Amino acid sequence: MAVTDTADLLERVQPLKRLGAGWSVWIVTGGLAVLLFILSGQIDWMASAPKIPVLAVADWINLFMDWFVDNFRGLFKAISWALQGPMGWLRGLLLWLPWPATVAIVAIICHAVGGWRLALFATGATLYMVVVGYWTQSMNTLALVGVAVPLALILGLSLGILGHQSARARRVIEPLLDLMQTIPTFAYLIPILLLFGFGPVVGLIASAIYAAPPMVRNVMLGLSRVPTDIVESARMSGATERQMLWWVKVPSALPTIMIGVNQTIMAALAMVIIAAVIGSSGDIGWEVLSTMRKARFGESLLAGFVIVLMAMILDRASRRAAENQGMPKIVSGNFFQRHTHLWIALGVAVVMIVLAEFFSPLRDYPKSWVFQPAEPLNNAVKWLNVTLYTVTETIRNWSFYYFLLPIRLGLENSVRPFSWGFEMTLPVKIGYAALVAAISLAAYRFMSWRVAVAVVLVAGLLYFGVTKAPWPVIILVVTVLAWRVGDWKVALFALVGMLFMLLTGVWGFSMQSVYLCGAAVLICFVVGGLLGVWAASNDRVSTFMRPINDTLQTIPLFVFLIPIVMFFSIGDFTAMLAIIAYAIVPVIRYTEHGLRNVPPDIVEAARALGCTERQVLFQVKLPLALPEIMLGLNQTVLFGLAMLVIASLVGTKGLGFLIYVALSNADFGAGAVAGLSMAFIAMITDRIIQSWSHKKKIELGLA
Amino acid sequence: MKKTMRTMLAAAAAGVLIAGVSGSLPAQAQGVPESDESIKLALNEWTGQHITTYVAGELLKQMGYNVEYVTAGYYPQMTALTDGTIDATLEIWSSNIGEHYQKSLDSGQVVEVGDLGLAPVEAWYYPDYVAEMCPGLPDWEALKNCSELFATADTYPSGRFVDYPPDWGTTNVDRMRSLGLDYVNIPAGSEGAMVAEIESSVANRKPLIMQFWAPHWIHAVHDMTIVTLPPHEAACYDDPSWGINPNDVYDCDWERGYIKKMVWLGMKDEWPAAFRFLHEYTLTNADQEPMMKAIDVDGRDIVEVVQEWIGNNADRWKPWVDKAMM
Repeated sequence: MAVTDTADLLERVQPLKRLGAGWSVWIVTGGLAVLLFILSGQIDWMASAPKIPVLAVADWINLFMDWFVDNFRGLFKAISWALQGPMGWLRGLLLWLPWPATVAIVAIICHAVGGWRLALFATGATLYMVVVGYWTQSMNTLALVGVAVPLALILGLSLGILGHQSARARRVIEPLLDLMQTIPTFAYLIPILLLFGFGPVVGLIASAIYAAPPMVRNVMLGLSRVPTDIVESARMSGATERQMLWWVKVPSALPTIMIGVNQTIMAALAMVIIAAVIGSSGDIGWEVLSTMRKARFGESLLAGFVIVLMAMILDRASRRAAENQGMPKIVSGNFFQRHTHLWIALGVAVVMIVLAEFFSPLRDYPKSWVFQPAEPLNNAVKWLNVTLYTVTETIRNWSFYYFLLPIRLGLENSVRPFSWGFEMTLPVKIGYAALVAAISLAAYRFMSWRVAVAVVLVAGLLYFGVTKAPWPVIILVVTVLAWRVGDWKVALFALVGMLFMLLTGVWGFSMQSVYLCGAAVLICFVVGGLLGVWAASNDRVSTFMRPINDTLQTIPLFVFLIPIVMFFSIGDFTAMLAIIAYAIVPVIRYTEHGLRNVPPDIVEAARALGCTERQVLFQVKLPLALPEIMLGLNQTVLFGLAMLVIASLVGTKGLGFLIYVALSNADFGAGAVAGLSMAFIAMITDRIIQSWSHKKKIELGLA
Repeated sequence: MKKTMRTMLAAAAAGVLIAGVSGSLPAQAQGVPESDESIKLALNEWTGQHITTYVAGELLKQMGYNVEYVTAGYYPQMTALTDGTIDATLEIWSSNIGEHYQKSLDSGQVVEVGDLGLAPVEAWYYPDYVAEMCPGLPDWEALKNCSELFATADTYPSGRFVDYPPDWGTTNVDRMRSLGLDYVNIPAGSEGAMVAEIESSVANRKPLIMQFWAPHWIHAVHDMTIVTLPPHEAACYDDPSWGINPNDVYDCDWERGYIKKMVWLGMKDEWPAAFRFLHEYTLTNADQEPMMKAIDVDGRDIVEVVQEWIGNNADRWKPWVDKAMM
């Protein structure tokens, strides 16, 4: 309480001093924006962004790629061939093992690392894969992940160690990691497709590359945090550099490294599914994708659930294993006693293999025993579609009229008699301006001048529309915003990023993406924020929501595309819903986390002062949790952009669509330009939000 | 490139690949298979193509070959054909080929081995009940007065036309402009999205006009009619003066094309009998449609359905195999 009060007090006591710094900049910016706006009405090249690239970056990239492919393709093909072996063997082994043996082995491993509850869960989950008839596909996916993960771990460990040991390497690795995490996964697939050709191995390589960055980060982090006294004492004992690394630093960094292992496994699993788009067959990703292509929701949901379960097992088992690393092990007994789990697992496997010879359903689960409740699910969707038709149609129309179209085209172009009931005439425009001025003044009077400026900016954007506002105005305002919130470096970065989009001819597509993603993020922020607040105040809601969040994050989202299309037709609204489904989770999680981690003494103090629960929430907890919530919003923006590409499977026209087309044409240049533009949007947003959140934390005394 | 790789790695590769592909029958004729290397057949994005590919693939397996089904995009597969990364793709629609097609033929490494025999239709479709809502259909001129009927919140006042996914190649944006029709092309993202759109529209009797194709199982479930556009002629696509719009191209219907089989030339040396088999191989709409329905509507397994067809149609495929084995 005390902290916020002081902040508020400062805000009110020194308005003039603060105005001096920021106010004038925004006045000048406003003037410039109006000037640019008027100019863009007169000058053609300012009115619409170039459609044909001024800088043919895509062509340059393609030229380089052609040269690279011509010269090195043999090498990459050899790698791909070399990987075919291990994957084939693992696949062969997993398919050869009778299913009860595999179920038992998985359960025993889970018991070894995580105890009875995990083992029970794993048994249920693997039996689900058997019973719904996706056993073969599940094992194929497991084989892919089983080879991709060790590859990613080796790659990640070596790059991480390299980055730890050489500052020069670190300077290359770190920005590369940033880029790899912001470029949408689909854009990775194009060069991999060109270099490695087609087939399941491509998916393997894609997921190994995609899954390596978290490992690299955690290895670098873990190694840098090894306490100096440990290093010193090792040095005094005469350890060589090599011994120092492997016997001292790596073991003491192990807990952090294991977190990296966990994240790598999850990333690999996610990518295996996405990679099914370019080449794999007979695994779960393929199953999900091909049932989606047939518009069979039931089957794709059942198949998608296999991934959720697999992710849950792998996640929990590896996280438990990571936790166990920290604990000292008590080793006693003879060889058999020390490896009980191993021997039981081997024993069960042998018994099952022998049994399966005599009783064939143990070898191949009979088709007639498969229980696949897909048809009821399909019928339910159809029934809902007809029953809720008027409702869904109304929701869709209203969302377009009063939300999506104003953001996309601006009130200027979307207010029409048939939707709003009146025309955008001069009096209406004046009324709008007066309303904005009033709200802005009120914001200045009761909150701060910053909020007032924000109101004017948002109102302006809403009036002209994200895709219709002239590009010079957008570039100016965003650059100034980045400068004021962050510093000149952030502003320069934003400027370079936007110029890249402009000069490579993808400005129009970028703004489409900003509009769609922005609309989705807005809804995520409001709805997710509310859910997060609710979950923070109620433990039952929190436990109820956790598995739903986990599912939304791991289920292949292809699954939901079909029912959403059935309800809301192909187009932007459907795409927006798909984005929200995936991107809402971080806001919920971070809001809950932020609220729950507000220092309890401050909350107590507020209560002692006689604040009502409502006041505690709005005047103490939320302001203090705001920096954390904003980080969640940041994640949501990243997730939303990543989801744009998948959303283009239901028809959108932004950067995601460009990447999708580039992927199917194997046009690396176009894909890279669109991917980089997305990365720029993500990173510009990221830097602005991070700077804001950082400043706020300092202001609140949290950092 | 491929040849050197092959000779280098052949010995080792054989072991691995045999382990990977199981279930091949022993050779039925002398010298077949000529190579244990897998024949890679391209799988594209729609079910009909999968059937075409699986029928050929399962028959090749019966002949003793190792066969691998490789998922590949419609355009990238053309590049992959030129170096034998993919050995054959069996359902190339002449109405929808793009520049990659010509490039791959120009490379001299890819040959066409005859028509598949399927009679394809790509056209503008509408569910039958729409005819009552927009009088004058199926004639395309009726669409001029119906754009508001097909309009939705996001396209109003223009009509909404659901188009192919962007990567399939579509000329409808030009066609709309050239024919002077006030419709917005909404790209469907995938076959699934298009089917869901049809299902949902029919269930709610909602006006719908879209690009679609036959053979497709949806025609066995819902009645849809083709819009009659000015008939296609080659000149229409590159000569502006042709047709009702003297200043623009594409003022006519889609080409009622044919379907080609394309093969990597290297097959001729590596698996001569398989090469001859693919040359003989044909499949008709009457073959494909029931199989499509079995797979997509009844949800049956594709290999099972294809095996059933093979079991019932020995008189169809025996001659192809016999000719190939000569």
